[in-house]
Amino acid sequence: MGAMEGIAQGFQVAFSLQGILFVLIGVIAGTLIGMMPGLGPISAIAIMIPVTYGMEASVALIMMAGVYYGAVFGGSTSSILLNAPGISGTVASSFDGYPMAQRGEAGKALAIAAISSFVGGTVSVVLLMLFAPMLSQVAVSFGPAQYFALMFLGLTAISSLSDGSTTKALITATIGFMTATIGLDSQTGTSRFTFNNPNLMEGIDFLVIALGLFAIAEVCFLIIKRKDTSLSDQGDIGSLRLSKEDFKEMRGPMTRQSFLGFLLGVLPGAGATIASFIGYISEKRIAKNPEKFGKGSIKGLAAPETANNAATSGAFVPLLSLGIPGSGTTAVMLGALLVLGIQPGPLLVQESPDVFWGIIASMYIGNIFLLILNLPLIPYIAKILKISRPLLISLVIIFSLIGVYSISFNTFDLYVLLFFGVVGYFMRILNFPAAPFILAFILGGMMEQSLRQALTASGGNVMALISDPVSISLYVVSALSFIVPLIRTRKNKSAA
Amino acid sequence: MKKLFFFISIIFVVVLAACGSSENGESSGDSEGEGNEDWKPENNVEIVAPAGAGGGWDTTARSVGKILEEEDIMDKSVGVVNKEGGGGAVGWSYINSTNNPHNIFVSSPPLIFIPLNGQSELSYEDFTPLANMIADYGAFAVDADAKWNDLNELFEDMKKDPSSVTVVGTSSPGSMDHMQFVSIAKKAGVDIKKIKYVSAQDAGGMTQIMNGSADVYSTGVAETVEQVKAGEVKVLGITAEERLDGEVLSEYPTAKEQGIDATFVNWRGFFGPGDMTDAQVSFYEEKLKEVSESDAFADIRDNYGWNEMYMNSEEYTEFIKKQTEELGTLLEELDMGQ
Repeated sequence: MGAMEGIAQGFQVAFSLQGILFVLIGVIAGTLIGMMPGLGPISAIAIMIPVTYGMEASVALIMMAGVYYGAVFGGSTSSILLNAPGISGTVASSFDGYPMAQRGEAGKALAIAAISSFVGGTVSVVLLMLFAPMLSQVAVSFGPAQYFALMFLGLTAISSLSDGSTTKALITATIGFMTATIGLDSQTGTSRFTFNNPNLMEGIDFLVIALGLFAIAEVCFLIIKRKDTSLSDQGDIGSLRLSKEDFKEMRGPMTRQSFLGFLLGVLPGAGATIASFIGYISEKRIAKNPEKFGKGSIKGLAAPETANNAATSGAFVPLLSLGIPGSGTTAVMLGALLVLGIQPGPLLVQESPDVFWGIIASMYIGNIFLLILNLPLIPYIAKILKISRPLLISLVIIFSLIGVYSISFNTFDLYVLLFFGVVGYFMRILNFPAAPFILAFILGGMMEQSLRQALTASGGNVMALISDPVSISLYVVSALSFIVPLIRTRKNKSAA
Repeated sequence: MKKLFFFISIIFVVVLAACGSSENGESSGDSEGEGNEDWKPENNVEIVAPAGAGGGWDTTARSVGKILEEEDIMDKSVGVVNKEGGGGAVGWSYINSTNNPHNIFVSSPPLIFIPLNGQSELSYEDFTPLANMIADYGAFAVDADAKWNDLNELFEDMKKDPSSVTVVGTSSPGSMDHMQFVSIAKKAGVDIKKIKYVSAQDAGGMTQIMNGSADVYSTGVAETVEQVKAGEVKVLGITAEERLDGEVLSEYPTAKEQGIDATFVNWRGFFGPGDMTDAQVSFYEEKLKEVSESDAFADIRDNYGWNEMYMNSEEYTEFIKKQTEELGTLLEELDMGQ
């Protein structure tokens, strides 16, 4: 009965006045931080650590967790309205969210994002509560060979991220791969493509590239092609109301991605960003009308939004049940636990049940708060699109510059941002899709490191990559995701 | 709507103005204060953590900054700034180029490794060691079911076939986790050039020894405590001179008591720009000593599992010089030094 008592105790902590207050502060701060491009939960939580010193541990952690999932919740807003992703976990949300906003359905897009975030967040908290101790074994089951297979599966989707030429998608993906190798190679300590510039030593931040290729490129495009009517002069944000058909369309991706996103979040290193991409891709693969993706598909927005929020709860599994942080944000939270005098580890659930269950219970309340806060605000937030276009363009540029600067307080990053903005502009007018670049960049780094770790450990034996059932089944799924669409198109052709 | 926009633009102007003025503030108070008997900061002091938020340097900078301010040790306010990049090189070149006695930074052994590996032009010689604050030690952990029970058994196997064991750590080869293992293994007689070392970020090391992808995890002592308590892993040895205090920590055998006469300290302290006056150095020395002796810092040390290791500027400079020589020879043996 230990677990039941623990859960009860957790709800007591979370439903205390203090608990509710700090959840509220956490999620409001998180939403705002998430909306600002560049500003992410990592730095926000790190800065909060000294503030929480002396606070009750469970309450402080409840607040920090609120900042974390609040940021993932709010991060979609700027992706949808401005094509400027607020945090790396919401880059994929701009693929279909931004086209919807351009179509004059900004209100609907934000409502879809809020509802799927809520569903993903809540379903995954249930999973977290029921299975956290059991899933801890899943979290440690992935070694380098399995990660390589998982990343490989992600990469098979590159062609599906392009609407036009597959060749062009492969070209941009290759360049994305190459960009991922910039910096100090962690397996040898050698600098690669850094040209002796210390600013390039740690590689290029994912968000700098995403903001450059999406937000800045979009702005360049709007400035140069003035007659285009997108981004603003819309006036119309459309109705917030979702029809029965809309809900029907969201139901599939929301159910599937709540589970898939959660599982990917459990794996250390995968996290919300990879979960959102894999969520997007997998929905596109199984959709009846994949050609709608990228043009404002409801499914294409609901999938990454559900997956990234579900992954956020998933990331708490290794942190709370093993004391192993799976991502940058959870690593900072681990540091915060230490400051508060809590030793995070496999015994946390026995030694500090109020912290363990308190955080989980507070996530229910937090997600409800987020939904209540976000839905009524949508008409006001969406009004940003009514600002006249020259002003809005300058706002996007300023937000992107400030956001990128706040990642590591380095002016060099601003030049990188502008560089990728220009690259993104040319890619766009030459019809090279940006999404495969982003996907290859994010998967490529991890894929390379896993491959080399696996091969070093096995002494160069390639068979080590396919020596266990998990990797083999991941390769089988990869192969299927290649073959199935081929068969389907052939069938369609013969039917026509 | 216009009002809202007006409001937003006002906020931007204010923010920009604030940023601008603080830049100016940093570069001013440069010339004064030189040669004075008693130096005191005229502006706010800036502690640079040459890494992102949340890491060891950042935590040290923030906790020391907080105590300096809250315990009224320093009258001026103390701000922490993250200058991330190049494993520290970006922060170092910032300190070097601003050359302002109000800007100091936190560092640890990477200040020795990174220049030795040829990844930074600047080395400790370009800065002024002010005071060391804490020491941390390395631990070598293996899965609870592993066949080795102490370091000698492990090194015996590695002497026969160094490539039969995979060592995992967080840092890249030629830096902390790798070098602490190498320096102990070398003393034990292992062919250090043949050691298989993989680097795994995001705490991947712990999961890798648990799922058998790697054999030994070279890390800090604090990272292992909870897993040892839960019976997931065991620690074969640590790099400290003597056994440490603490519930689980005191059970960790040192390499020394197992007959391997080698230690490795992960020290952490503060540095200033290259040319500082004696008065400036002794000002920081004194203030940092006060922090080190405060109860508040003792609490923080306990929470993070750090050990007290105060050294003043002179002792610190000597210590780092010696470390650089030792580690330089070791890196050369690995064919990594430049």
